[in-house]
Amino acid sequence: MAESIVRLEKARKAFPLPEGGTVTALDGIELEVARNEFLTLLGPSGCGKTTLLHAISGFVELDAGRIFVDGDDVTERPPHKRPVNTVFQNYALFPHMTVGSNVGYALDISGTPRMERDSRVGEALEMVGLGGLQNRLPRQLSGGQQQRVALARAIIARPKLLLLDEPLSALDRKLRQAMQIELKTLQAELGISFIFVTHDQEEALTMSNRVAVLDGGAIQQIDTPRAVYNNPANEFVASFIGASNLFRGAVKGNTVVTAGGDVIQVSVDTTSMNQVTALLRPEQYAIANGERDASAAYMDVTVRQIVFTGAGYELHGETASGHTVVATIAAAQQTQVANAETSRRATLSYDPAAVHLIPASGGKP
Amino acid sequence: MNFVHKLGSLSLIVYVFIFFAFIYLPIALIVIYSFNADPVNMMRWSGFTIDWYRQIFGFRNASSEAALYIESTDQLLAAVRTSLIVAASTTAVATVLGTAAALAVFRYSFFGKRFYRVLLFVPMLMPDIVLGIALLIFFVGVGISLGVGTIIIGQCTFLISYVFIVVSARLAGMDRTLENASADLGADEWTTFRKITLPQVMPGVVGGALLAFIISMDDLVITYFISGTSTQTLPIFIFGMLRRGIKPEVNAIATMMLLFSFAIAALGLYLNRRKR
Repeated sequence: MAESIVRLEKARKAFPLPEGGTVTALDGIELEVARNEFLTLLGPSGCGKTTLLHAISGFVELDAGRIFVDGDDVTERPPHKRPVNTVFQNYALFPHMTVGSNVGYALDISGTPRMERDSRVGEALEMVGLGGLQNRLPRQLSGGQQQRVALARAIIARPKLLLLDEPLSALDRKLRQAMQIELKTLQAELGISFIFVTHDQEEALTMSNRVAVLDGGAIQQIDTPRAVYNNPANEFVASFIGASNLFRGAVKGNTVVTAGGDVIQVSVDTTSMNQVTALLRPEQYAIANGERDASAAYMDVTVRQIVFTGAGYELHGETASGHTVVATIAAAQQTQVANAETSRRATLSYDPAAVHLIPASGGKP
Repeated sequence: MNFVHKLGSLSLIVYVFIFFAFIYLPIALIVIYSFNADPVNMMRWSGFTIDWYRQIFGFRNASSEAALYIESTDQLLAAVRTSLIVAASTTAVATVLGTAAALAVFRYSFFGKRFYRVLLFVPMLMPDIVLGIALLIFFVGVGISLGVGTIIIGQCTFLISYVFIVVSARLAGMDRTLENASADLGADEWTTFRKITLPQVMPGVVGGALLAFIISMDDLVITYFISGTSTQTLPIFIFGMLRRGIKPEVNAIATMMLLFSFAIAALGLYLNRRKR
């Protein structure tokens, strides 16, 4: 296992609740992060992602299980003796110290010679685009600049692993997108592994080599962003990542029939399955022109609402059984959209081959 | 309607004026009469003089021959010195212990923490006279002779509470992830305390220390019980003077104490603002 930089074995942690009882934050987590990998922990609040991060940095002691960093067992080590650094959610910059002292903190602690320390502080600030701001105080910087200082401070000691705890959540949308690209570039340049925590699925898909989707203290799925999006392992992953239309039903030949009577055409091997959930992403739909294509499947819906989103339209409708359907319609289909708006009815087409089936046993317990 | 409204706001202004006059007029009078030349009747203005101030510092002058009220300047200065020694010592002890207690309560959760916090508040709420008598009985019972030492110990019992509260308030506003960030960057607990926690709580510590100093300088009731017969702090000395009638020098001493307190309060405000 020389290739993995972090390995967690059966990590378990429960917190006592003030009203009695406990909540399980980590439920036997097994995780391995490769060298130079960008792994994202994604999940709703309370899924255990921050606890997992704190367990690696040492701020949370595990109830059971072991943590290895670069082959060394660090389970019992206090935070200051672990070769990992963290970028905190609120940046946690030291307000009474200048930007330079903040960034140089780790080097000052380790007793790095003055000359080397100064040049490395300069380099780190240069790297995040803040050269020359050494003597400012954190409160004199904008949110985005503070974010960069936090980043420079965390990478200056050249950790083996950088942990990022929702570092972009306080930034506005534009800045956040710019920082996502920058972080990705920086990670490639530095050649260190990143574990990035977020509840923003778009962020997770954009930046990561792999995404680990967490819920209820357990990893629901860990795979590449594409695999997690296209082949979700269970209903939770399917509904948490991206918008989704889920049809739960019984397999009958090449169709899935829901309890309400909706029929979804599929063209995948269903022989081994009985009860499934069919997943159709909104962008897999289009409005049918009237001409029927033998290779496509169709679904009649009552239109509830059509929303203009800039790049296209979002159609909210209902099937005959009352199942809600969301479809993203390309801007090119504006004639069909106008028709659907007036008639309040539409026929949606989709490719049966693109329907993803989730076995019922793979659903969230 | 408009008239009623105007009357309302006018009476509010008058009320505020009376309110502040009620609080500050007696104090203003003390300052004014400390410059009154009349040696006998405080309420009759008979000219401006700084003789009372001169007299406190041991200068004899014409009017003082007629009314030499202060037993001796040496006694006054000795009382001031005792007060300063007591205040400096209690401030040092109360600041260290109060800050340590606040840090402990802030950082750790332990059995009986709430009860412990209440125990730290109680000395502040305890009637001074009860605390004074209790301390006197305790010191005499244990066999510690009364003097500067017992005053210091006695005042610390309630000054720790003040420091505890001020430092706790500061800690409550502190971002705890700062300590985590420091540890994350490789600093052990002591280094983190020195470089991060202490600078962050310093305004609270300084504020608590200045408050303790002012309260110590000013305390009469508790100190009176546990000072013994040979030790006099400044408030006890003034109280002693008053028992033989109100004399002009008292005004001058009071004015100087007032200035001293203001100076310390101003220093506290200044430090607090600068550190933030």
